[in-house]
Amino acid sequence: MRYELTVNGEKRVLDLPANVPLLWALRDDLGLTGTRYGCGLGQCGACFVIAGGRERASCLMTVDQAANEHLEITTVEGLAKGDRLHPVQQAFIDEDAMQCGYCTSGMLIGAAALLMQDPHPNEATIKERMANHLCRCGVYNRVVRAVQRASAT
Amino acid sequence: MSWRPPPPPRIEDRIRLERDGTVTALSGKVDFGQGIRTAFGQIVADELDVALESVQVVLGDTSRSPYDFGTYGSQSIHVEGSNLRNAAAAARAILLARASARLKVEAADLEVALGTVRPKRGGPSVTYSELAAEGPLDGLVPDGIATKKADALRLVGTSVPRREGRDIVTGRPVYVTDVRLPGMLRGAVLRPPHMGAALRELEEAGAGSLPGVIKVVRDGDFVGVVAERHEQALAAVAALRAVWDPTPPSRGVEHDIELRRDEGIDAALAGATKLLEAAYTLPYLANAPIGPSGAVADVRSDSATIYSGSQRPFGLRSQIAQLLRLDDSKVHVVPSRSSGTYGRNNNDDAPAEAARLSRAVGKPVLVQWTREDEFAYGTLRPAAFIEAKAGLASDGRVAAWSYRVTTHAHILAPVENAQIAAVTAGSGALPTYDIPKAEIQLHIEKSEVRTSSFRSLAGAENVFAIESLMDELAVLAGVDPVEFRLRHVSDARFASVMRLVAERSGWTAGRAATGRGLGFACTVFDHTYIAQVADVSVDADARLRIHKLWCAIDPGLVINPDGVRNQIEGAMMQGASFSLMEQVQQRDGRVAARGWDTYPIVTFRDAPEIEVIVAADATHPSTGAGEAGIVPIGAAIANAVFAATGVRCRELPLTNDNIERARRERPPRS
Repeated sequence: MRYELTVNGEKRVLDLPANVPLLWALRDDLGLTGTRYGCGLGQCGACFVIAGGRERASCLMTVDQAANEHLEITTVEGLAKGDRLHPVQQAFIDEDAMQCGYCTSGMLIGAAALLMQDPHPNEATIKERMANHLCRCGVYNRVVRAVQRASAT
Repeated sequence: MSWRPPPPPRIEDRIRLERDGTVTALSGKVDFGQGIRTAFGQIVADELDVALESVQVVLGDTSRSPYDFGTYGSQSIHVEGSNLRNAAAAARAILLARASARLKVEAADLEVALGTVRPKRGGPSVTYSELAAEGPLDGLVPDGIATKKADALRLVGTSVPRREGRDIVTGRPVYVTDVRLPGMLRGAVLRPPHMGAALRELEEAGAGSLPGVIKVVRDGDFVGVVAERHEQALAAVAALRAVWDPTPPSRGVEHDIELRRDEGIDAALAGATKLLEAAYTLPYLANAPIGPSGAVADVRSDSATIYSGSQRPFGLRSQIAQLLRLDDSKVHVVPSRSSGTYGRNNNDDAPAEAARLSRAVGKPVLVQWTREDEFAYGTLRPAAFIEAKAGLASDGRVAAWSYRVTTHAHILAPVENAQIAAVTAGSGALPTYDIPKAEIQLHIEKSEVRTSSFRSLAGAENVFAIESLMDELAVLAGVDPVEFRLRHVSDARFASVMRLVAERSGWTAGRAATGRGLGFACTVFDHTYIAQVADVSVDADARLRIHKLWCAIDPGLVINPDGVRNQIEGAMMQGASFSLMEQVQQRDGRVAARGWDTYPIVTFRDAPEIEVIVAADATHPSTGAGEAGIVPIGAAIANAVFAATGVRCRELPLTNDNIERARRERPPRS
């Protein structure tokens, strides 16, 4: 089937079987592997993208749904404007808010979505709103600091 | 495991000078988030006096890097860092000799800055790129070669940023499952009820004719599907019907090993003024990486290329060569970043699966494990049961110590060799205190599940028991737990981290149990000194909350202080997670967990504040920092629960059920 999606501001046309999860279309058809597979269950946050203005699990959303609802998709690759990093990206580097980095894409999407809605969240809000993102290496506190740093820029 | 003597170190194995004056540093280690690529760059750039940006670090590539047994046991900075430093120093000596001949100035009268050699007194200079034209740097690294003193280091000791940072935050394809090759197909594997089960019957049930399916591959007990798309491969595997041999597995080799037995231990126990007996229990744990396993294999008729996040690329090369009946030299393992691995990728399963599927279809195949697969078939940290008995002398000091740990193998391959079993499953079992008489026994049982290495091997299990026991003994002796430990320590560096963390945390003990309290624990793990304090509260429903954790660590010379802090913070967060909630339930080899709902880990909501004090003694060589942070933390938290409630919990995790049970079994004295 033929689908039209808007991803990172670009119109993309896809020819796919029905009901392919958006995650795999991004990773395997659009070359956007920055969106990571973590669980396929919507439980870990690794695959989150911004869809229609809020963060969503791309593993639970089908391409059909994204196309039918004309959801504009932003992935981690779409956060920077050219060479200029998004403030949350720069803040994650500055705080070294990563170890293996596998959860980082989803964390950045979560942080960017949070700051769109609440430009100056306090620590409790950050922890509450980011709680759907898991990190096994244990950099939670650095992520909180990075979001605070980004919100101050 | 076969042991081979290391060949004499050659400069060109680890350090190469390129024609443009830049340096390539080669190591067989791999970086999965520890930051060693950055730290190795700092070490080499300092020793050679070049800019950090001029050093390219190549890790774990079997066609370029020197042989390495694997990245585990916190050896990278400790051992490999020295190898690189020595090779760089030898390279610098050759370059200075060349410069000396060119400039007609004694080598001792030359200095180097950013790859340019000039006489200290001034005059014409020569660059590394000009000197590189004279030929490659080769030869043996001399024994005991002099390296730079701590005060001459510019980059070592500074927190330079992680080199992969920008690639990670911009979502570049850095992980093994991001590899995309022309014509690459997707593979999925049919899972048995437990790993290693024998396949009796297989009914393809139309799987082969499902959309996108290229081939159903059966190879002995291995069954997999190759398809055009990932979802198609999964759907085809789900359609297969198999009958497996129901016999539950029994893995590993049994051992009874005496790690220490002092003459007169029985008499010392019998003669103790006060005696304490306690048993400690630790559950199986999942590695639980955020990214499930994955690998890409491109198998040709006479060669193979494997993309893997293995912690042992050279071991994997041999494994794949054997599987494909190829010579080792025909297999190229390209190390690729994996999701965090805390021991899991010592036995990366996906590469062999990808290789079998790729061989069957003659095209590259990517195998991506599912979350369910990762929990059900990944390797586990073994459970442990520890029976301890300790006696105090009339002066309140420990006079006798009897300790028996029952656990499973801490590496996946069958271990026949008792010495290897002792250093893996027995790690951390020897108390790091001055104890006059002790007996320490290690009993290794077979296991129904796949047990293997997890961060610190058995360190976190044994130190949980040892540091809980020391805390109980301090109470029995009526002495402050920190003071009690200090009375059994003669090593000044150890005492120093203990005092430091007590001071920073505002350590107080001996208060009445008010529902909130501080707990202390410490150890020396692989020569790294570490002491930790936990601040916790326990509510009326026995729910534990960890408010803050402190750590003081002395790992000798520190290459990258923020890198060390990040490692320690992460290890403590992981330790907080397993202390609060982690345990794998299993029956007959079948693991119950399938997702993050059935195997919860700590989240932003329950993440404690963490403060790390790097109290490095730079006059001592670097020791490891990747594992030590996780070792004492369980006991620090359990000891804090005791301070808060008067309830002594001898079992992890500290769920409200376990705390309630401990309260019933050992009601607090009021």
